[in-house]
Amino acid sequence: MSCLIVQSDKTLLLEVDHERADDCRRAIAPFAELERAPEHIHTYRVTPLGLWNARAAGHDAEQVVDALVQYSRYPVPHALLVDIAETMDRYGRLTLSKHPTHGLVLTSTDRPVLEEVLRSKRIVPLVGARIDPDTVAVHPSERGQIKQVLLKLGWPAEDLAGYVDGEAHPIELLEDGWALRPYQKQAVENFWHGGSGVVVLPCGAGKTLVGAGSMAQAKSTTLILVTNTVSARQWKHELVKRTSLTEDEIGEYSGTRKEIRPVTIATYQVLTTRRKGVYPHLELFDSRDWGLIVYDEVHLLPAPVFKFTADLQARRRLGLTATLVREDGRESDVFSLIGPKRFDAPWKEIEAQGYIAPADCVEVRVNLTDSERLAYATAETEEKYRFCATTDTKRKVTEAIVRRFAGQQILVIGQYIDQLDELGEHLNAPVIKGETSNAQREKLFDAFREGEISVLVVSKVANFSIDLPEATVAVQVSGTFGSRQEEAQRLGRVLRPKADGHQAHFYSVVARDTIDQDFAAHRQRFLAEQGYAYRIVDADEILAGG
Amino acid sequence: MSQAARPAPRSLAEALRARDDSSLSALLRSRPDLITPVPTDLTQLATRAGTRASVLRALERLDRFALQTAEALAVAPEPASYATLLGLMAGDAADESVTAALPRAVATLREQALVWGDDERLRLVRTARELLAPAPQHPSPTGLGPSVQEATSGMSPGRIQEIVTTAGLPSTHDAVSAVTALTALFGHRKKMAKLLAGAPDAALDVLHRLVWGPPYGQVTADPAAHLRWLLDRGLLLPTAPGTVVLPREVALHLREGRAHRTPEPLPPAVEPAAAHSPQVVDATAAGQAYTALATVEELLKDWDEGGPGVLRAGGLSVRDLKRTAVALDVSEPVAAFWVELAYAAGLIASDGEADERYAATPGYDEWLERPAAERWTRLAEAWLAGTRTPGLVGGRDAKDRTLSALGPGLDRSAAAEVRHRVLTLLAGLPTGTAPDTGSVLDRLGWERPLRGPRQEDGEEDLRSRLARWTLSEAELLGITGRGALSAQGRALLGAPAPPPAPVAENPAGPGAKLPVHHHAPGPAPAPLSPAEQAAATAAAARVLAPLLPEPLDHVLLQADLTAVAPGPLQRPLADTLDVLADVESKGGATVYRFTPASVRRALDAGRTASDLHAFLTEHSRTPVPQPLTYLIDDVARKHGHLRVGAASAYVRCDDDALLNEILADKRAAGLRLRRLAPTVLAAQSDPAALLEGLRAMGFAPAAESAEGDVLIARAHAHRTPPRTAPEPVPDGPPPPDATLLTAAIRAIRAGDLAATAPRKPAGSEPGTGSRAPLAGGELPRTSSAETLATMQAAVLTGESLWIGYVNAEGSASQRVIAPVRVEGGFVTAYDHTADEVRTYPLHRITGVAELAED
Repeated sequence: MSCLIVQSDKTLLLEVDHERADDCRRAIAPFAELERAPEHIHTYRVTPLGLWNARAAGHDAEQVVDALVQYSRYPVPHALLVDIAETMDRYGRLTLSKHPTHGLVLTSTDRPVLEEVLRSKRIVPLVGARIDPDTVAVHPSERGQIKQVLLKLGWPAEDLAGYVDGEAHPIELLEDGWALRPYQKQAVENFWHGGSGVVVLPCGAGKTLVGAGSMAQAKSTTLILVTNTVSARQWKHELVKRTSLTEDEIGEYSGTRKEIRPVTIATYQVLTTRRKGVYPHLELFDSRDWGLIVYDEVHLLPAPVFKFTADLQARRRLGLTATLVREDGRESDVFSLIGPKRFDAPWKEIEAQGYIAPADCVEVRVNLTDSERLAYATAETEEKYRFCATTDTKRKVTEAIVRRFAGQQILVIGQYIDQLDELGEHLNAPVIKGETSNAQREKLFDAFREGEISVLVVSKVANFSIDLPEATVAVQVSGTFGSRQEEAQRLGRVLRPKADGHQAHFYSVVARDTIDQDFAAHRQRFLAEQGYAYRIVDADEILAGG
Repeated sequence: MSQAARPAPRSLAEALRARDDSSLSALLRSRPDLITPVPTDLTQLATRAGTRASVLRALERLDRFALQTAEALAVAPEPASYATLLGLMAGDAADESVTAALPRAVATLREQALVWGDDERLRLVRTARELLAPAPQHPSPTGLGPSVQEATSGMSPGRIQEIVTTAGLPSTHDAVSAVTALTALFGHRKKMAKLLAGAPDAALDVLHRLVWGPPYGQVTADPAAHLRWLLDRGLLLPTAPGTVVLPREVALHLREGRAHRTPEPLPPAVEPAAAHSPQVVDATAAGQAYTALATVEELLKDWDEGGPGVLRAGGLSVRDLKRTAVALDVSEPVAAFWVELAYAAGLIASDGEADERYAATPGYDEWLERPAAERWTRLAEAWLAGTRTPGLVGGRDAKDRTLSALGPGLDRSAAAEVRHRVLTLLAGLPTGTAPDTGSVLDRLGWERPLRGPRQEDGEEDLRSRLARWTLSEAELLGITGRGALSAQGRALLGAPAPPPAPVAENPAGPGAKLPVHHHAPGPAPAPLSPAEQAAATAAAARVLAPLLPEPLDHVLLQADLTAVAPGPLQRPLADTLDVLADVESKGGATVYRFTPASVRRALDAGRTASDLHAFLTEHSRTPVPQPLTYLIDDVARKHGHLRVGAASAYVRCDDDALLNEILADKRAAGLRLRRLAPTVLAAQSDPAALLEGLRAMGFAPAAESAEGDVLIARAHAHRTPPRTAPEPVPDGPPPPDATLLTAAIRAIRAGDLAATAPRKPAGSEPGTGSRAPLAGGELPRTSSAETLATMQAAVLTGESLWIGYVNAEGSASQRVIAPVRVEGGFVTAYDHTADEVRTYPLHRITGVAELAED
């Protein structure tokens, strides 16, 4: 009896408690994406993207088929093996490379394939003259575009055209009293070896350090793209602390400051600002000869940035994210424009290594009162979520939870400002929301970090990249509908390792029998699949216990 | 031959008479159509064996070499000796393999009564000769033309003498001997070589172009010198003006005696494409066999509560097939295969109701009870013996109607034979070896060359398509695994033990060409008798049984609300889980997901929350996760909270006591009242009956409207929707007004004028007297040429004419018109009768007459 079961829908089920599970996981990880990792059986999915990732990493179809046949408990259907071999065979038939005289060229080892793609209407504007029957020139500016289109046509091109080194700039890691963790080192190594690509690590697993490590490898000017200003400051803070870079070498390019330095941290927002139909801040990309571009939170990359990225294919690109799940389904653009996935580790595994705190996830179901139920039933459809998410009963439960964990660092996270203001008032805690100034935000964060305040109420502005090392309890009262990645981000707030090593708690307060409950189920699915089991308790237990 | 004990037979009947019983029974076995009905005597048998239909059928069943032999006999002189035939087949070079294979081919032809006579006088049955001999209408596959004798049959004796002389032969007395001499010359290798040595190069080119056929060529009336050279010597003979033919004898000389360019005495070998270890093959096939069972069960489960409807023409609609394909998660052709398989195995059928639907048969329930291996053999057997071909589904028949799954027109009688043959060929390979598809098709083509002519539109012939389908269907069914015949498939065929497998020493896999038996094919193994088949089936089940996975009795429950069954489940467990959870992924394992809806479904099916908890605890290898427990309790808490039922009427009353009284009254039993709440009774009888019943019991109920108002029991005036009053229908038409009258009178008068106008006699030449003057009311009749001429004349002179006219409805009338224009078969004229300009088609005008001048 072996540990792997191959399903007809191309998912692979791995029994994790099996003695050969570790070997098997290593064998299938190169080509199968981990889709769900609950406690007993992990689900991997074999997708064309995954198979091409494996090809990009130098694995061939035979290895893949061998791995399946070797570990599979039941005979693998012949058709599936044939399909895998055929899919893998599609990668690398076309290659992008540098030609000494013609510049960027698309070469094929299989003439009919080249003929087929050249006949596509979307390819025609991207290519130039036919150099010989197997080679066609490509406009250097269309390197990203053509990769995107070829992937959509099912003939992904291998990009061997290389990278420009960019302007050199000395960067070293200052490993005094700390060191890159093994998996971070591995991630940096995989990325550097592959040239460009995405590193997937859970929140709190130190993605910033993977970025810093990569910069120390590149030793060149670097452009870092982050989600917002707070996050930009934290990157700067971290880089100054962990590397040989000084304050003066790092510039911030945001709504308020427009500094361009050897290492520049820009926000997505300022890049995508549009005035009279043009993006005025795009010149940032050309303002220096960047050697490395780091994309923080790739899963949030706004669509226009994809477009700019398509023009930057000659630069090394590093994507950092906690999840490749994109609510807009543009995973294939991430693959073709930033690069294949270079490293990924299941959350639970990193937790087991002690690098992130174990968490206790609890969903608290509150009952609406009779009058609330009536009001909910008659509410307009678009108002329904707001109504049930901000119900009064939730406030009482939240207060009870905060009372229970009095003395610990507690975050209360929500979506609706009215609700947060009210909670702030009742809990006697400061509220951080969109209108709070950056200075004020940082001041409050510092105070929270120092333990001067123990309860902080935050709106979704704090969803990303704020670093609150000592938060041990998070209470979520409402969210952006069913967003899975938001849930993952919020859980990430409490997953950073605690100084005293005690357990983190994540509470999600949900109104029973309403769409709030449906959204919550959707949000939790990602975490449940990562192995974070939610307990469900009734509000009465909390109220009684509190 | 004189030394033979018996005189040589003079006819096929005599030849048959001379055959012993076993040889006759061999004939009848290979040509069963000869004994339906049983012939009265051997003469009748011989006659029947010579009929066109029967001969054609027999020829179609010949393999390529036997057919080539028959073709060679058809171009040989009749009768031909064995030596002549051998010369035609093996050529001057005496090909050894042909020499070795020929006796078998001749024996086959003799056995099939296509050839008779002893070795000195082999005769092809006349019908076969007609079918195979070259003729201008159907060129022979040999590419040979007519013999000199045939080609010169219409030629003048003088011309023949000229040819003979030019060819260097002495002239003869008569044409017959001249032709014989010419034939002898062409048949003589050395003399021919000498003759041809003197030929111009261009002439030799022409001969080489024609030698392998088609032997016909075009020449101009004044042929070029090199053609003339050939024509003069009879090396090309004219067949029709402008056409020449290469005589058979000349072609044979140029071919070095061979009737066929490439005689194929040996069947093409089935080439191995890949070799796998037998264990892998058997395991893969067994896995697929299990999938086949699961798929058929899933299909039937999908159709359990009423399958799709039957089309009026029979079969499954395209939409239903698509839906089934989606439900089974396979492509449509594969879905068609499963549906047809279940049908062939007798598991589904039409229910025959007025609103006809497909449904499982009682046989399905029996089938379900059997062990898995037996279930599989039942499917495999049905497939192997069936003639329905799912591969055709979606195609079109001869009348361009779409062929639908389960519909008519899918039977192909060759299907069973091809399936059996293909699998037998696979069985001939070493164990674990998958064949190269192309070589299998080539082999089948060799065995039945006439059945598989390449079609002109590039589409493959039916047998090749059947063979391809056989290979893919056998894989789906698990008879083969990774393309190689599995042990259970071999057992099912009743095939002999495989040849020793060199796989172990030669694991090179793909590309490793194994030496393949090149011996001549033995007779195709006869189909198994029912008893043998039963034994083979049982053997297959025994082989398969240990390879099938053992059903499990447990699942793994996980906190993300999924359950994973790491293998096939025991049936009761699977049935319950199917209700309690949704299947998310299938294959070796099954992944189930619990959702509120699925839990509700289980509760609806009559299970209680505690049942479900107990069930999960019992069958889970892992602790039941808290969220799942919570989910079940949460759904159960709400389940059945609201109750829905149907009632026809209700009784409501604020006084509970009064309702108690009604319920207690025996007379109320007929009203079927039930208490829903202290103040409400529901009744199954309609409101009017309820009112009446309560009144009869002495109560004074009031009726209530849907809004709860008391209905006043006053007679309601009944009204229709808005209607218009009926139109009066007067006796006759209304009196005409003045305008109408004037017009009517004018028309009448004009008509009258037309009928009575004195006119000239119709004949244009006076005095012919060919026609009696027209009586009143009779239409004028003239020929169309005359009509046209008169019309055109009238246009020039501006005269009025009297015409007879038949309108589109066929009613005839007479009109007086003044033609204005005649063109395009129409005459435009002022019509005095209608008082307006009209256009008349000339072909509707019966005749024309000039009006007499008054």
